[in-house]
Amino acid sequence: MHNPQVRAIRIIEILLLASAIVLFLVGSILGDTFFLRLATESLIFGGLAMSVDLLLGIVGLLSLGQALYFGFGAYLSALILKEVSPSFFLAIGIVTLSSIVLGWAASFVALRSKGVYFALITFGLAQVAAKVVYNTRSLGASDGMMGVPILQIWTPIGSVDAGQPGIFFVITLLTISALYGVLKYFLTTPMGSIWHAIRSNEDRLAYIGYKSKGPKQVAFILAAVVAAVSGALYPMLRGFVSPELMFFSVSGNAVVTVVLGGVGTLIGPILGSVLLTSFKSIIGTWTVHHHIVIGLIFVAVVISAPKGIAGLLATYFRKTHSRKGEE
Amino acid sequence: MLESLQYIYAPQMVNGLSIGVAVVLMALGLTIIFGLLDVINMSHGEFYAAGAFISVSLMAIGVSFWLCLILVPLILVPIGFGMERLLIQKVFHYKDRHILTLLLTFGVAMILEDGYKIIWGANPIKPSAPISGASELLGVMFPNYRLFLMGFGVLIIFSVWALIYKTQLGAIVRASAYDKDMSSSLGIPVMRVYALTFAFGVALAGLAGVLLAPIYSVFPTMGRDFILMAFSVVIVGGLGSIKGAVIAGILLTQLQSISSLFISPVWSDPLVFTVMVLVLMFKPTGLYGGMKNA
Amino acid sequence: MENMEIILKAKSLSKHFGGLAAVDDVSFEVTRLGVTSIIGPNGAGKSTLFNLLSGTFMADSGLVELECKNITRMSPEERLSCGMARSFQITNLFFDLSVINNLRIASQALEPSSHLFLPLSKSAIAIDRANELLEEFELLECCDQLAGALSHGQQRRLEIAVTLATRPKLLLLDEPTQGMSQADTQDTAELIKYLGSKITVLLIEHDVDLVMDLSKTVIVMAQGKKLAEGIPGEVRANPLVQTAYFGEELA
Repeated sequence: MHNPQVRAIRIIEILLLASAIVLFLVGSILGDTFFLRLATESLIFGGLAMSVDLLLGIVGLLSLGQALYFGFGAYLSALILKEVSPSFFLAIGIVTLSSIVLGWAASFVALRSKGVYFALITFGLAQVAAKVVYNTRSLGASDGMMGVPILQIWTPIGSVDAGQPGIFFVITLLTISALYGVLKYFLTTPMGSIWHAIRSNEDRLAYIGYKSKGPKQVAFILAAVVAAVSGALYPMLRGFVSPELMFFSVSGNAVVTVVLGGVGTLIGPILGSVLLTSFKSIIGTWTVHHHIVIGLIFVAVVISAPKGIAGLLATYFRKTHSRKGEE
Repeated sequence: MLESLQYIYAPQMVNGLSIGVAVVLMALGLTIIFGLLDVINMSHGEFYAAGAFISVSLMAIGVSFWLCLILVPLILVPIGFGMERLLIQKVFHYKDRHILTLLLTFGVAMILEDGYKIIWGANPIKPSAPISGASELLGVMFPNYRLFLMGFGVLIIFSVWALIYKTQLGAIVRASAYDKDMSSSLGIPVMRVYALTFAFGVALAGLAGVLLAPIYSVFPTMGRDFILMAFSVVIVGGLGSIKGAVIAGILLTQLQSISSLFISPVWSDPLVFTVMVLVLMFKPTGLYGGMKNA
Repeated sequence: MENMEIILKAKSLSKHFGGLAAVDDVSFEVTRLGVTSIIGPNGAGKSTLFNLLSGTFMADSGLVELECKNITRMSPEERLSCGMARSFQITNLFFDLSVINNLRIASQALEPSSHLFLPLSKSAIAIDRANELLEEFELLECCDQLAGALSHGQQRRLEIAVTLATRPKLLLLDEPTQGMSQADTQDTAELIKYLGSKITVLLIEHDVDLVMDLSKTVIVMAQGKKLAEGIPGEVRANPLVQTAYFGEELA
């Protein structure tokens, strides 16, 4: 018997992958720029959403400040590409390593608390960081930094031009999939089980032999890396970075996409991000006030379907399965 | 030395106090909602903004500032009641309810903030202070409005404290918070009490909005900007503690105003936040613990 | 087969809450194997004492020694690695996880920490132990169900199974028959007796008859102090104990 949640996850994975392939083929043939770039952006923010979900849906910690690491990755990536060398792997590599350090350092402040307090501390950390960046002239202050060069990315089949929307879409898809793969791997390890146990009943953990601090720290750092690497892709796509990337609305939107897609599934947030980004762009052509609509949808989801789309799918599978069982 | 005290520090401190009093009002609502209802109200800042916006519109059609002080909180009461009853109580029975109510109120905040932008536009509005001029106190000139703020704020804070701890109504609210089932079996309409408490809390935030509008001016993101300060006060004071909210509110705003003499105002938020984090790290229950198990 | 070797020693343990002495200068010894029980009327301080022994609270003063090792300041997970495990009065399982996962996670401490980052299949010891416990505690048929969905009796069995996962030398059971029917209580008594033949069991209980039946040693507490310590017959006949428990009535 296949677990209904596992089936729901599988369906969403297949759906997203299939749409990605179709989009790439059709878009490349038709010479489309707009949709491919939109999809790329939705994947980038999907990566951020995954980092929120790792903490919220798996470990049980609501972070309202993942934009801190996302923005950090974006700025660092922009700096490296502009000032050091326009190398994709160099930027990703350095961002990965430094975000491990950043996440490790931040964990000492953030993990002192849990629940509400953790949410507020992460919120505050991001607010403070955003304010600092906003006021730092060497980082471009409120204007941010522009002029990030277009990359030529080395691949085993030759150098590819990241300026081509289709190409960069695939690069982003591969990067985000790699991050997804890493997180899924962790979920197959005992560490992943301990994370679930923490979410379920943190107090009991010590009595079966594990302090919760270590595993939480691992998850926290991992989430920082995932957010930062996703952020690192941003300047490669848009050519600039700005302090807005660290603002609360970025963290907040990530939380919305997680709840919408399905908390705890990791793929749900990606779906949520795709849906929300498309949605924003469509509504955006009618009105500039998409926040209200998104807010209304979000509130409706929290009240009527707190497990999001993945949850609805899983419930559907559970019902049809039990109906089949009765036949 | 005495001169700097008189001409530099004292004015800053008094200014800080006038702001502090309004901050305390906002934190009071927040701490009551958390202490008594166990709900993290991420939309609290938006009710603060609501108070400001509504008062601006009322005054534009000729309603006096003084009438606004009464009307605006009254207007916010049914809104808060409705929100608690129709939205928050829907998710209250879930195991994850702390996170769900946090997310829910966060969603409402999103809706409200954009709503303000739609209705009133994104540009700041600065209503004029209802009391003009300044008075001399110990050789220093203080704006009369700020003096009024302090006095009025203290009055309200004291009334709230008296209401909660010295009246029958307050006892009912505290009983419902302490033991829902017991209170219910004693005939107390617990759900309605919860909704009223929430309404009361957000009305206080709205009142703070009316009071601070002439000083800080009114714009759609004002709620979000202020909420970190409000939560910092509540956490430092202790979730659920009125005394804590008052003392922490005064302390943190004093910290802000005096530090602005030495460092750029950009760093005052980080400073307050640092204090909050330090308190969380070393005394997680805040200065005065909590009424409940916070 | 009983043993006179001391496995757990408590010396002058005290814990105050505010002005109240919940545990007041309590000393006792637990010998290897068999069931040692702590009983006492409500408010006697049994739970607090238990929490001091298991590391949930830190004692204000006094000493706890496990096999001559001073564990007084150790955290619960450190005590577990020394061989002491405790169960909870209010079932304290990972309710959102399946029964098998509860058992597997509880058994993970049998594996080296490097295995935490390797795929699950590499933690064979833990997996085997979980399966072993499933059989031993008759939880096979519900192994994939969420712990929260089990019946009360199944949950209590799982609770004890989880506590035994790391094969502790000393098992602390906190009111295991709380809220149980007569039949379940009987079964649990059998289980405890059986466990007592393999490892040392330290029990808090309210059910005095059950305790007298099962235990080789009974410790009686009242108002934070130790009132009596000895074999069931002795303790039952002790007039101090009778007064503490039954007031003026005789047992």
